[in-house]
Amino acid sequence: MTKEEKSGDLIEKESEHRGDGLHHAPGTFTLTLILLVSFVVYYFANWKALADVWHVR
Amino acid sequence: MTTLDPTVEGALPETEAAGRGNHPPGTFRVCATTGLTVDLAAEKFIKINAVFAVVFLLLGGIAALLLALTRWSAVHLLNAEWYYRMTTFHGLNMLILWILFMEIGILYFAATALLKSRLASVKAGWAGFACMAVGAIMLDAVILAGKADVMMTSYVPLRAHPTFYLAIILVAVGTLIGVINFLATVYIAKRDKTYSGSVPLVVFGAITAAIIAVSTLLHGAGIMIPTFLWSIDVIDHVDPAAYRLVWWGLGHQSQQVNVAAMVSVWYLLGTLTVGAKVLNQGVSRTAFLLYILFINLASAHHLLVDPGVSAGWKIWNTSYAMYLAVLASMIHGYTVPAAVEVALRKQGHTKGLFGWLGAAPWKNPGFSGFFLSLLIFGFIGGITGVTLGTEQINIIAHNTLRIPGHFHATVVGGTSLAFMALAYYVVPLIFRREFPLRWMCRAQPYVFAAGIVLMSLGMSFAGSYGVSRRSWDVEASGALHPVSYDPSVHVWLGVLGIGGSLAFVGLLMFVVPTVLAVFFGKRVEAKMPAW
Amino acid sequence: MSIESPAKNWLHAPTGTERAWIGLALLWCIVLTLAMPYWHFKGKQNSTGEAYTVEPTRFADRVQQFVDSNKVGEVNGTPIAEPPPGGDAYLQAQMWRFYPVLQFKKGQTYRLHISSLDIQHGFAVLPINMNFQVLPGYDHVLTITPTMAGEFPILCNEFCGIGHHQMTGRIIVTE
Repeated sequence: MTKEEKSGDLIEKESEHRGDGLHHAPGTFTLTLILLVSFVVYYFANWKALADVWHVR
Repeated sequence: MTTLDPTVEGALPETEAAGRGNHPPGTFRVCATTGLTVDLAAEKFIKINAVFAVVFLLLGGIAALLLALTRWSAVHLLNAEWYYRMTTFHGLNMLILWILFMEIGILYFAATALLKSRLASVKAGWAGFACMAVGAIMLDAVILAGKADVMMTSYVPLRAHPTFYLAIILVAVGTLIGVINFLATVYIAKRDKTYSGSVPLVVFGAITAAIIAVSTLLHGAGIMIPTFLWSIDVIDHVDPAAYRLVWWGLGHQSQQVNVAAMVSVWYLLGTLTVGAKVLNQGVSRTAFLLYILFINLASAHHLLVDPGVSAGWKIWNTSYAMYLAVLASMIHGYTVPAAVEVALRKQGHTKGLFGWLGAAPWKNPGFSGFFLSLLIFGFIGGITGVTLGTEQINIIAHNTLRIPGHFHATVVGGTSLAFMALAYYVVPLIFRREFPLRWMCRAQPYVFAAGIVLMSLGMSFAGSYGVSRRSWDVEASGALHPVSYDPSVHVWLGVLGIGGSLAFVGLLMFVVPTVLAVFFGKRVEAKMPAW
Repeated sequence: MSIESPAKNWLHAPTGTERAWIGLALLWCIVLTLAMPYWHFKGKQNSTGEAYTVEPTRFADRVQQFVDSNKVGEVNGTPIAEPPPGGDAYLQAQMWRFYPVLQFKKGQTYRLHISSLDIQHGFAVLPINMNFQVLPGYDHVLTITPTMAGEFPILCNEFCGIGHHQMTGRIIVTE
């Protein structure tokens, strides 16, 4: 790939595919941790809301 | 690169032949922007399916605006009869017609362009399209004629005109033909060795969607055919509990087709917009495989407070065995943005944790639409979906506005927005037309996403006070026994109304430039202009 | 590249933060899975789906019998029926009303039978927001214990035709 093709619309050559080695994505990992925390809070808040209604079996 | 001379006949040298897959000479072009081969027959079907999709999106969108303005208590626009009619109309146009036409287009693209293959059968393509188109028009006509005010779910024994069921069967059969044509194309590409090794990830995702679609459509046939026969008095009873079980094999699984298609589009747009590479093919493919294996259990989500289903059955099914399909979505929710992050870091945007995110091409609606779709799907749609689909929690959610609050974040903020983002590439690359009103295109994903998020929150909060999902009059005025809610309910219904209206503006900001581009846009002669 | 065939031997175990995330997500999935059986045994709110097939006309007869022997009053022309604590209560859903009005005692447990005489309906208790499905031909039994006193509107939340939004009823819970 040439340098001026840095922007979006380009397709790299298969030979450039570097396989599945270690990658560095700390931002994404942080985002997913935020997702997990929101998930846990929302999920247990709903159990709490459920615990307040009439008993039923 | 220019289009290959279509008049060249006879055998090409070995290397060149490999470059053009199994396309017979004169039946394809080479895309100047991406270098992909585009089968001309498939291209025609992609175009015609996309055009139909957008027409139904607009119809469903108009209905959506009317519904939002009716649920907004201060406006309360439609009368009861038209409110329920429009609810039916909106559900079917959006969830079935817009999405299915778009998905057939995506499948044809994935199998032909990405695998360098010709379309397996042009005749089947037309047959499938004709069935879908005729079915779709019949469906809208019978609903607007007032003969099928039964909601999208059409739960028996509430009865619609037989045309309604027949129309759905036709759409399902047409889609099934399209899906089989896709699978056949994948097969001939493999047979003709148009690619080496494994299929590209986007094709793998498309195959996932297709396999789930086959299962979905068989469930649809399994319940709609007896229901059609019942509607013409050939059989005298369809069990309502059995109907719900099998119908949701269609209703829920079809949404999982959307998930698989949407995730494929995420990967595709990651590549097209920032050159993202798949970080770990094995992980992403395994996640798709989990969808195929476990997602069809999800029809249990709709039966959690039904009579006659046991706790054990519900726990097993509603958790997709052990939330393994949820795990799949959480994996894609990491791998897709991580691929974007890695690509942007490699381009030099390495500052801090989120420097890459700040430097992302947010003015490119293909990127902003895709990334907003990812965020809305994960943070709102995913979290609410898993929670509401928990066996016992469903007691405080079933059939309240919390349910549409959830699925508008998955199907609209997620799938529809991703498909819109895709259109910003489909129109210049496949229709080869430039978008006019580019400022409007750039703003569109933000307006649409903001509207959908507001609407979804309004629905969710109103629903948590017990507001029913399909009620024309929340206050039930004139009812024998009065009903009253916490007054803040009307504030949330107002948020729903404002959000819905804003989303409609966002929808028009998509439809208008797209239609102008397709019919009057400047021809893209060489490379598509960068966003 | 998501649109090209991957290089050969693409199957690798995940590494780094990807591996950590998959581990965390899997752990969370296990928590989600265990929460439901836990609540099934320890929680007080479970929809067990107890149900019996019943002809709609037979169900209507049982409802009438129940009303005749347990009637304690009338509101807006609808009889109020109060079953004995621990006893069976019957609620009939039809286009577009619930019948009769039920009266319970707070903290007592009742077997509440709900079914429909015509099409599918929903049973929603407001404002506490509990929701169940009501099908014709199925006697849906909820073993229910009201935990607060007051008047609770009930509402149909499954679309049942043009009068759907006016399909209401009431449960009265006394101290």
